[in-house]
Amino acid sequence: MSDDEPTTDDDEPRADGSGTGIVPPDDETPTWNERKSRRDGLARVTYEYFERSRREDEELRRESDYVERDVLGFPTWPHEMIRNLSLTAFFVGMILFLAAMLPPHIAAPADPSTTPSIILPDWYLYWSFGLLKLGPLNPDLAILGGEKLMADRTYGVVANLVVVGFIAVVPFLNKGSARRPVEQPFWAAVGVAGVVFSFTIAALSAKNLISSVLNPHLLFDLTFLAPIVAGTISYAVLKTMREGYMYDLNRRYYRLRPPK
Amino acid sequence: MSIERKDDHDHVDWLRDKDLSPVESTFLFVLIWMDKRLRIVDYLELLETMYYRWNLQMPKSHTEQYNLDNKFWYWYPLYALGSFSTIAYVVAAISGALLGFYYSPSAAAQTCIAGLEGSTVAYCSITDIMTSLDFGFMLRSLHRWSAQVMTAAVFLHMLRVYFTGAYKEPRELNWLLGIVLISLTMVFGYTGYLLPWDQLSYWAGQIGVEMALSIPLIGEWAAQLVFGGFSPGQATLQRMYILHVFLLPFVVTTLIAVHIGIVWMQGIAEPH
Repeated sequence: MSDDEPTTDDDEPRADGSGTGIVPPDDETPTWNERKSRRDGLARVTYEYFERSRREDEELRRESDYVERDVLGFPTWPHEMIRNLSLTAFFVGMILFLAAMLPPHIAAPADPSTTPSIILPDWYLYWSFGLLKLGPLNPDLAILGGEKLMADRTYGVVANLVVVGFIAVVPFLNKGSARRPVEQPFWAAVGVAGVVFSFTIAALSAKNLISSVLNPHLLFDLTFLAPIVAGTISYAVLKTMREGYMYDLNRRYYRLRPPK
Repeated sequence: MSIERKDDHDHVDWLRDKDLSPVESTFLFVLIWMDKRLRIVDYLELLETMYYRWNLQMPKSHTEQYNLDNKFWYWYPLYALGSFSTIAYVVAAISGALLGFYYSPSAAAQTCIAGLEGSTVAYCSITDIMTSLDFGFMLRSLHRWSAQVMTAAVFLHMLRVYFTGAYKEPRELNWLLGIVLISLTMVFGYTGYLLPWDQLSYWAGQIGVEMALSIPLIGEWAAQLVFGGFSPGQATLQRMYILHVFLLPFVVTTLIAVHIGIVWMQGIAEPH
């Protein structure tokens, strides 16, 4: 502590609004055990604690008419909380608006004897449903006399596990400190290919629906070609962008945080 | 100072000596009263810690700390997707709890609309909610849309995390937890999709049964466990219902709490 910093008589830092007014526990703060071993009794410690903070408050009020805490960032209360509340209100309002504008309807009752021409799960499972239709990719092995090792259905379930498994191991494959897509064009391209694949495989799951527009065989090929094309294009674009972008980034950033 | 020890415990007299405001004396009186019985002071350190926590100040953000010109990173709005999905989850939980008062998971035959063949009790409870219950249509709509929004937000949240590299060390475990959560969200959606027991539900259930059956070795066992048989029926509906309203809410809520807790502990990964 420097000499010119204001202190009270007993050499404690004086809280006058210039600092935080909060003194963190230091070495002299009694520990739980010390406090427990005092003969004065626990009640006295409680009293002293509250009395001390009351006195501190009084001093604070006496010495300045306005007590201000230093704020380094955005204060949690009330600023951040009010911002959160308004964002929450906005989002909930959006959900209410959607619900009011586009109410869901209900289909005909379940009928085990009539299979509808189009069977689809909800949209977020289209990709999984599409993976069940990968039968043509299921290799038939010559050793088994052209028999398939797995049933097509099993193959589809395994494909689901493979996709989820790949996503799960991403953090263990892609290490290092790169954060932005331009810093890691390859992994960004993998991501773009994955996103495109999730759409094309979803389209494949609804191939009955779009067979009038698109030949199912062409759709099947596009399902796997489109992601590769999209990934390649984004890789090329990011690689091209990289030099100019990284120059800027390096100048202000890697000086501070060298890459691993 | 007298040799005889003063009575430490004469709090009332001691309170009278002090010049305390009514609020303070009431508080202290209650504190002492509680302390005599519950030994609150044993937890004083916890209280102290909470006091400092409460008065914690926001740390400098990464950009401020490293003086990155406070450059605005144009993906910041996407950082709200995680909390957006949590908000949608809360809305779905509230509207779902209200729907639960009126829904019954029974595949027994019931005719509720004249001329409509093959409707069941479950189906009729949904149509009743939609046509007879005040604000029932809105309630169902709200539940469905909040579920859709939650799922969409969860997917986009995952994409944001992927493209900003936020899954990297030290956040691998939270990424794995997130994969579990997104899967459970889809199971949540799937089980809910089956509950109206209309044509879409029934045949989605059929797909589910077939997927379970095609798991090698344990297929039949898994189909029995999850769907209660080899074709959708009363047992399927009931299992989906219990998964949807009892099992998954507890599991998913706990995992969301852990997921957010880890984010809280580790801080948000900024893309710098």
